[in-house]
Formats: sequence, C-alpha cells, structure tokens
Amino acid sequence: MQVALNNVTVRFGPVTAVDNVSLGIAPGEIHALVGENGAGKSTLMNALFGLVSLASGSISVDGAPCRWTLPQEAIARGLGMVHQHFMLQEHMTVLENIVLCAEPLGRFGFVDFARARARLDEIARTHGVKVDHDRLVGRLSVGERQAVEILKVLYREAELLILDEPTAVLTPQEKDRLFATLRSFRAAGKAIVLITHKLDEVMEIADRVSVMRAGHLVASSSLEDTSKEEIARGIVGGELPAPRTRRVQEPGAVVLAVDEIVVARRGRDVGPLSFQLRAGEIVGIAGVSGNGQSELVRALTGLAPAVSGSIALCGKDIVAFDVEARRRQGMSYIPEDRQRMGLALGASVSENAGAGHDDRNAFAAGPFLKHGAMADFARSLIERYRIRVAGPRAAAATMSGGNKQKLVVGRELSRNSPLVIAENPTWGVDIGAIDFIHGELMRMRDEGHAILLVSTELDEVIALSDRILVMYDGAIAGDVSGGEASRDRVGALMTSKSADALGKVA
Amino acid sequence: MLELIADPSFAASIPRFVTPILLAALGGALCERAGVFNIALEGFLLVGAFAAVLGAYFSGTPYIGALAAVAAGMALGLIFAEFNLRRGGDSIVVSIAINLLAAGLTTFFLRAIFDVTGAFSDPAIAGFAPVRLPLIEDIPWLGPILSGQSPLFYLALACVPFLHIFLARHRLGLRIRAAGENPQALRAGGVSPRRVQLLALVACGALCGLGGAQLSIANVNLFVENMSAGRGWIAVVAVLLTRGRPWPLFFIALLFGAVDSLSFRVQGLGLAQQFTDMMPYLATLIVLVALSWWRAKRTKGDAS
Repeated sequence: MQVALNNVTVRFGPVTAVDNVSLGIAPGEIHALVGENGAGKSTLMNALFGLVSLASGSISVDGAPCRWTLPQEAIARGLGMVHQHFMLQEHMTVLENIVLCAEPLGRFGFVDFARARARLDEIARTHGVKVDHDRLVGRLSVGERQAVEILKVLYREAELLILDEPTAVLTPQEKDRLFATLRSFRAAGKAIVLITHKLDEVMEIADRVSVMRAGHLVASSSLEDTSKEEIARGIVGGELPAPRTRRVQEPGAVVLAVDEIVVARRGRDVGPLSFQLRAGEIVGIAGVSGNGQSELVRALTGLAPAVSGSIALCGKDIVAFDVEARRRQGMSYIPEDRQRMGLALGASVSENAGAGHDDRNAFAAGPFLKHGAMADFARSLIERYRIRVAGPRAAAATMSGGNKQKLVVGRELSRNSPLVIAENPTWGVDIGAIDFIHGELMRMRDEGHAILLVSTELDEVIALSDRILVMYDGAIAGDVSGGEASRDRVGALMTSKSADALGKVA
Repeated sequence: MLELIADPSFAASIPRFVTPILLAALGGALCERAGVFNIALEGFLLVGAFAAVLGAYFSGTPYIGALAAVAAGMALGLIFAEFNLRRGGDSIVVSIAINLLAAGLTTFFLRAIFDVTGAFSDPAIAGFAPVRLPLIEDIPWLGPILSGQSPLFYLALACVPFLHIFLARHRLGLRIRAAGENPQALRAGGVSPRRVQLLALVACGALCGLGGAQLSIANVNLFVENMSAGRGWIAVVAVLLTRGRPWPLFFIALLFGAVDSLSFRVQGLGLAQQFTDMMPYLATLIVLVALSWWRAKRTKGDAS
C-alpha cells in the first residue's frame, strides 16, 4: 500500500503543530520517523489516522485521495496503529482484546470466537506472532502486551503499521523479537512507520528515515544516503552536545544502607533486598518494569511500609519515619509520574516549586506562605533549567511534559539533599531535556551526593551509573560495576536471575 | 422465628421481594460494567411502578402496564444519559436529581391523573396473575417458591444467565465491559464509549421499569407514594458488592429479598415496625462487613 501525505498542515489554535509536510510511505519498507518530543511526529501520524483534522493538504492511499474524519475509516482502509501507551483492556482476555471493535459476528450479534481463533492461528503461522488467547491481558508482560497490540492490527488486515515508540518499554531480547517480526512484515510487503527516539534502532532496521523538527520535515532520505550523525544533527537542529566525560572519583561515606528490606506486593513480596549507596556515586537500578523497582522506591521514600528490614539514611534508621521526616533527614525524590506525584497540575509553577520547601523559613512566615519568595525561587528555577512556561503564576498543567519534568528535577535537586532518588527521570522527555537532566545528575554526583537512579531505560542506566543493580522478580539478580556493564550482560540479567544465563552471554 | 422461616407461605413470598431488587440490580450491573455510576435505581423503580399502574389501569392488561413501565424506565435512562454523558453532569448529582424527580413526578401525576393523594387503588388496575407450573408446583417446599409467581419473576430469573452470557460473548456486552474498563482504548478502536454507555443506561431503565411493575401490578394492584421504599438503594449496594457480575448479583439479591420478606413477616409478631424496617439495611451492613473481612483474608493469603 502506497501512502502519500501532501503538504499536510495541522493547527491547534494559534499553534502550527505540523507545517506543510509531504511524505511518501512505500510498501515493503520500514520508514523511521524521528524527532524530539513536540516535533510533530505523533501529530502527523494522528492526522494520517483521522484523529486530528488537517488545516490544509491531503492524504492519498494508492493514489486515491482520502478524507477520513474517524479512525475506523482509516482502519477500514488498512491502516493500523500501535500506540505508545497500550490501548488494552486489562481485565479481558487476549482474544477479547483482539476482536474488540472488529468482532466477527455469529447469530444475534454474539461474537464468533471460533472464527477469530482460526484467523489468529493463521497469523501465527505466517508471521510467528502468538500469545496465548485465553490469558488475561493484565497478567501479561509488557512485551506480550505489545504483541497483543500488533496482533490487533494484523487481525484487522492492516497494510500500513504505525508503531509509536515501540521499543521504549522492551528488554533488548524483546526488542530483537519485535524487529524480527517487523522484518517479516516488510518481507510480506507491508508498509511500516516506526516512530522512535533511538538512532541505533533506526540504523539497525530502517530503510528510510525522515526527521522532523518544530513541525517541519527537515530531512527524508534512504538510509544509505545518511549517517547517524547527520540524523542527530537534523533532530536537534545544530551541533550535538559533546559526549560527557566521566570523572573518576572514589566514593565517600555510606549515605544509604538498605538491609534485608521486604516490601509487600500483590502476589509475591519484593525482597529481601540489601545494598549500600555512598556519597559521590550513582547506583543504577535496572530491570524490566514491574520487577519490584517501584515497590523498592515506595519503601525507601516512605510511600509504602516495609514489611521487615532496616533503612539507614546518613546513619539514622528511617524505617519508622514518614515521608516528610525522611525528606528532612536528607532525601529528595524525583517520581516517575510527574503528572500525579511530581506536581499538582492545577497549582501554579511557583506553588509547585515551593512544595516540599514550605517548612523552611525562606518560604514561610509562621503558618503563612511567602508568595513573593516562592515566585522568586520559581523564577530562578525557570531561568536555570530553561523551563519554557509563561511565568511563575502559570498553572503547572500548561507546561509540556519535558518542562514539567525539568521543574520537578530542579525543585528536588535544589533541596541539596545527601540522597537523590530519581525514578525514570527522563521518561517521555526530548533529547535536549534528557541531556540536561543527565548533566544535572552527574553534577550532583560530582559534588558528593548519593544518587539512586531507578530506570527502565537501559542505555541511561549504563551511561550514568557507577554501579548497576539489576532487579528481577522482586530480587537483585545482579550487581555489575559501571565499567563492565554492557547491554547484553545487563539485558540477560533483566530477563533471568539464573547465573548461567549470565555465563552464556558473558 | 424458626417456625416462621419454615413456613411454606414465607418461602413462597420470597420471589415477590427478590424480583424488583434483582431486576433493578441487573440494570444497575449493566451501568456499572459500562462505567456509568448510576445510583438512581430507586428513582427508576418508582417511575416504573407508577407507569405500570398507569398502563394497566387504562389498557386493562398488565402486559401493557409492564410495557409502559419499560418505556418510562428507558425515558429516564435517556434523561440520565443526556445530563451525564452529553452535558457532562456529575453522575452522583444526576442520580440524586433523578431520584428526587421521580418522587416528585409520581406524586404530582398521582394527583393530576387519578386525583388522589398517598395511594391509588382501583379494581380497574389489571395485575399479573400468578403463573402455575404444572409438575413443579407439586415439589414439596420448592414447588410453591418456583410456581405461582408473576411472569416478571421468571423473566428476572432468565435474565441472570442471559446477562452473564451477553457480557461474556455478545458484541455489545464486550463493548460495555470495554467502556467501563478503558474507554480510551475503545475510542481508539473506533467505537464511541458514550454510545455504548447510553445503550447500557437505556437497558438499565427497561429492567428497572420491569422491577417497578413487579412492585405495583404483581405484588399488589396499587400505587403508593414512594412505594419503592429503598429497594433501589439495596440494588445499588448489590451492584457495588458484586462489581456488576450477574451470578453473584443473583445470590446477593436472593439474600436481600429474603430478608426483606422476613422483615415484612415479623411485623406480624408484634415487633416494632421501626425495627423490622431496619432489617434489610442491617443485612446489607452485615454482608458488607463479612465481605470485606473475607476479601482482606484472601489478599493476605495471596501475599504469604
């Protein structure tokens, strides 16, 4: 299926999100679409899918112009999208999820599940994608869920597949499996659009690459005619930030000592976990999401009680402390979910910046807040972290994801605590902001703070950490020093805790 | 007390109390599964009861009465949908408004149409005759429960397995569950969750209408102001306790219906009416406590 976007422009109010973009997508081709967050990639694909309307321009499929206004028209025409945030019903089975909205009907509107099973068996034979039909989606791993999303698209006989950041949540092994599947689709003559941040993946699998920046298509060429560096320059619109040099330093005194802590979890408890974190070191916690990392973080920050074990922060046992007392004792926390835990979206930037500092005399006079001082502090954060926002009085909700994250990071790091717990600190933010946040974490480390970096982004953990703990199934499966960490080695630990699996790749 | 429970006429009266609760709860279950927080079942029942009397009185047949109740319930479902789904009103506020509207409207029309206050009773109100099931009625003890009930009781019974299969295997059932669980995903698939929720609300209205008809033209042949008397609320509790699953709902409705029936009976023993009126709610509380205790125990068992 040949799809062409001709001079497409999309506007949201006064903002032009996509500006006069023309793009051709050919069958039997993997077309990578890259660019920073907010560059317009997703908007462009949503326009192709009929989810947003075009201000001008047109879309044609196999030469025939299409003007759909509903996603089901695009689906009927053979377009399929695997969203970054899965669109699945967790309490339904795999089979129910796949047929939902495209149900094969038997009598009286009842669903003919037997027919659906037969079709899925056929798909499993041709493309090798298979997930047990009768399992509940809520019980599946992230990789399996993605396979369900792909099966949904295949079940609807899509000829064009759009995958939005499909590898962000996968282990290296799952990623390899996905790429094998995509190659099989390419061989079957399907067209594939791969939206991604990761240039290594583009180089590995794409046939063509298109780069977007600030709503414009800045480059589109076949992979042979370009290079990784050229693509990266196109994305950021200038020269790249220089690679960071890591200062070698001996870690100092123990800041955090975790001893045999066990945290309750539905199904199986997490732990017992023991590790130490010293001043001037970044310890990375790697692992596929859902292997106990969030339970560990909740126990450390005091958001959930530990069943047993002890946690010492700067020499003091903090197990009995509540969240506030732990923060006073010397802990900063950059939560994974900036929308719900990091910020109060309805409150102003200034109020959010002051949150957690409000016990200090600088921001409070008795029970009353000093709004002026808070606004000054917010302004200093906005300047220092280059946060794009109307001003300290603007609601936090008005910022983009990356700017929200910068505000949270700035607030927490400015507390100057001995311990910083950063949970997926660059999740969903663009390259420029990632670089900045990484730089700040490194600076804190060099200044002698202890940093616990919990991240599902393997490259991030490897790039920043002095030491990596890999979590698998509620336990620490491996302890790798930063120097000897490789994707393969850590990736193997992420999927299996057995030492012989490590032996095989090492 | 034991004598009373063993009394076959007590057993035979249980279905009359179970039916309205069960029908309303099944309707509520559809809303619950579709993600509509509908606590207006009380109002739906009351309007159904009134419409049933209206239809039965003017047509002379209880079936038209039941149809009128269904139509009135569906209309209320549409009103709920208009204010909640389309205009974005909070579902609790809309529910309370509908409950108040139902009480006021039925009282008003009672006066406007029949020119009476408090209650309307007339030989022209055609009630449902009991359905006798030839062989079954001879079974000892169970016979009088299963046989000789109103057609609405059998309909309610049939609705339980039907709804179970409907939710599991029907296209609309699947979509109702999807609308309740992750409407965003349903929308991405090209189906409007609001439309699905609208259908659930209308079906809920129909079922509640039938429940109301059971109250006014099967259990008795009259309409009394506020005659739903809290049964819609008990149905709401049943729905929330069972998270809208039809089979557990059936057993909870059975229990609540039996207690309701018992409370009616013990009034004859000279117990204060204030106390007997409390019984269904007391039973609800006991079930709530027992269930949460059982759930807590089960999750603890999972964790170890």
